[in-house]
Amino acid sequence: MEAEVKDQLVSIEKPGLIAPPNWEPVIMGILCNWCSYAGSDLTGTSRIQYPPNIRIIRVPCSSRVDPWFLIKSLQTTADGVLVSGCHPGDCHYISGNYYARRRFLVTKKLLNFVGFHENRIQFSWVSAAEGPKFAKVVNKVTEDIKKLGPLHLYKKENFEKK
Amino acid sequence: MNYTKQIQEIAAKLFAEGKIDVFVGYRMNGFDENQVPVLVNTADDVSKLVFTDKSVFNLVNYLKNEHTRRKRVGIVVKGCDSRSLNLMLTESQVKRENLYVIGIACEGVTDDSGQKMQNCVDCMVPDAVVFDEMLGTPAPPQNVPVSYKMNADIASLAAMPLTGRAAYFEEVFENCIRCNACRHSCPLCYCAKCCIDQETATLYNGANTTSAAFHALMTWSLHLAGRCVDCRNCEKACPSHLPLHLLHKQNESVIYENFQEHLAGVIPGDRGAFYKYSMKDPDDFIM
Repeated sequence: MEAEVKDQLVSIEKPGLIAPPNWEPVIMGILCNWCSYAGSDLTGTSRIQYPPNIRIIRVPCSSRVDPWFLIKSLQTTADGVLVSGCHPGDCHYISGNYYARRRFLVTKKLLNFVGFHENRIQFSWVSAAEGPKFAKVVNKVTEDIKKLGPLHLYKKENFEKK
Repeated sequence: MNYTKQIQEIAAKLFAEGKIDVFVGYRMNGFDENQVPVLVNTADDVSKLVFTDKSVFNLVNYLKNEHTRRKRVGIVVKGCDSRSLNLMLTESQVKRENLYVIGIACEGVTDDSGQKMQNCVDCMVPDAVVFDEMLGTPAPPQNVPVSYKMNADIASLAAMPLTGRAAYFEEVFENCIRCNACRHSCPLCYCAKCCIDQETATLYNGANTTSAAFHALMTWSLHLAGRCVDCRNCEKACPSHLPLHLLHKQNESVIYENFQEHLAGVIPGDRGAFYKYSMKDPDDFIM
């Protein structure tokens, strides 16, 4: 009996809540059009497998990502968020990702401060030529979030998993 | 700290010279020793004005309403208020030539119980940074950036385990009644249309729920990150007495420690940490 309880996946922020069997996380992937989105395309055309848990949204630049997007994703279906953009110095708009980098750090620290595990909000730099790296990143993020269990914090009522 | 007489004299002089149309100051609230903001329109009402340790509110908030907009205004600012005024000037919300600013070398204000307020104990910039006239003796000039004092509440909360923090903040957000007083009392929340309200029209439907409060307060605090001056007008206005300063101080400490920025509004023309970048910003949290 004890072993069974141990095997059950609990939500790390709310240890009282147990994940349903065969639970799969939903990850919101917000990718910049010029590097990471092309990179994920390359992953597909190179026939490299990556987990289907990620749901990809394309944005013009990583600095287009308002911290609000992350809050909204985490409040609805997502159990974690991955934001990906160009490497520093490679931004199509010269300096967009430098501005984004500051915002990401503050958002991540604030969400961690109010009780979200830090691995639920992840960032990466993936260039258009890094197909294998994108697969690796998605693999790592999915693995990380699978360990954390479902997210039960501040879910909008319609999205609270019963 | 009592500048009542000086402020009355200055205001009377300004009205006599015709330099201002309206003066924004404090008056006694009429039933106890606490004070409320007042807009004085004529020289006859100047005797209402007071300034003591109980002058807690940030009057810069009153520069964005219809009674002061496009008028020549006299205003009293403490250290923190002057920083928010600096940001409003930088963000082109008010015109400097329309203002006559009385700066205070602040010694800290007290709350209802007579204790010095927590943000005044931790205050790093007590003297007004924007002024036409200074009252009190300003401290000798310090090196900018001034040394950052870590907020004790932030340090103790950061040391708590994740589940404890999650439970603590869930209670905080649960007690929010979504009255938006925090937003209306903030001098730097001047957008005609707030993104939080746009959201209420659809997804959140103006609901008074924990998730809606979380969404509103987090978005609000992130839009103020790098600009908040810790005047705590939001906390004074909050009917549920939520510890709203925790969110702002957390952002401020992260910005200060990681980006080596100045405190918001200390330097004229400085728009805050999110409007610039450095090649040396930390990159280790990004894969």
